[in-house]
Amino acid sequence: MNDYQSVYLALSVILFAVGALGVIVRKDAIVVFLCIEIMLGAVNLAFVVFSRANQSAEGLFMVMCIMAVAGAEAAIGLAIFVLLYRKTGTINIDKFNLLKW
Amino acid sequence: MELLGIIICGGAALACALLVILSKNTVHSALWMVGNCLALAVLFLFLNSQFIAILQVIVYAGAIMMFIIYAIMMLNQRQGFETDILKGLRSGRFVLLCLFMICLLGLGAGISPMALKGEMGPHAMAKFGEVDLIANYIFVQGIAAFELVSVLLTAAVVGAVFLARKD
Repeated sequence: MNDYQSVYLALSVILFAVGALGVIVRKDAIVVFLCIEIMLGAVNLAFVVFSRANQSAEGLFMVMCIMAVAGAEAAIGLAIFVLLYRKTGTINIDKFNLLKW
Repeated sequence: MELLGIIICGGAALACALLVILSKNTVHSALWMVGNCLALAVLFLFLNSQFIAILQVIVYAGAIMMFIIYAIMMLNQRQGFETDILKGLRSGRFVLLCLFMICLLGLGAGISPMALKGEMGPHAMAKFGEVDLIANYIFVQGIAAFELVSVLLTAAVVGAVFLARKD
């Protein structure tokens, strides 16, 4: 019983690559954040596929933990963006180069 | 028939992901991301995981995207920044990303396929993803992780309020 697992896994890899590409090419902090969410969604898909292949609930539990982490990340990350915007007037990530060498 | 549905939903998810990257307006990016979440939820339904599909719609497409739309409103960003995708593709970061992905795929190909366990009959397949199996797992084996996740969410809320307070 194969159930098109390779199709799902290929889709997961491609979605992850698209998200990583977006993190690299975009300068807008909010779009970079959205691309991180795309990557998390791709990983969720892979977890569900493997969880079903093994007939175990561990992967589904991991998906729920990832969703909780994504929610925490959204709360903290967006608060940081608002703070940066108040201090500097922009959220262009190329402008925040204090820790860059 | 199932393959057709998978290809349609997967194509929709992929197209929405590409439009998130390519659209100039930040609000449009956020709305395409909602489409991506919904397409992934349909794929989860194809995978017999009804509970995860519902969580995906409620948590991702509902709560997190609402957060992001709200943040865009607070930042009053009508227009995104200029994106030069070709310039981004010529940077060293892109080369590093390609190397990383190739190494990851090589690692995945090198691992021997794991033996499938559990019963794979149609009855087990139909029961998979139902909420009682997940609840049994969470409250028996995963209770420590579950409680830690609740602590994490509380810490995130407190941290967000602390960051956003008036000086």
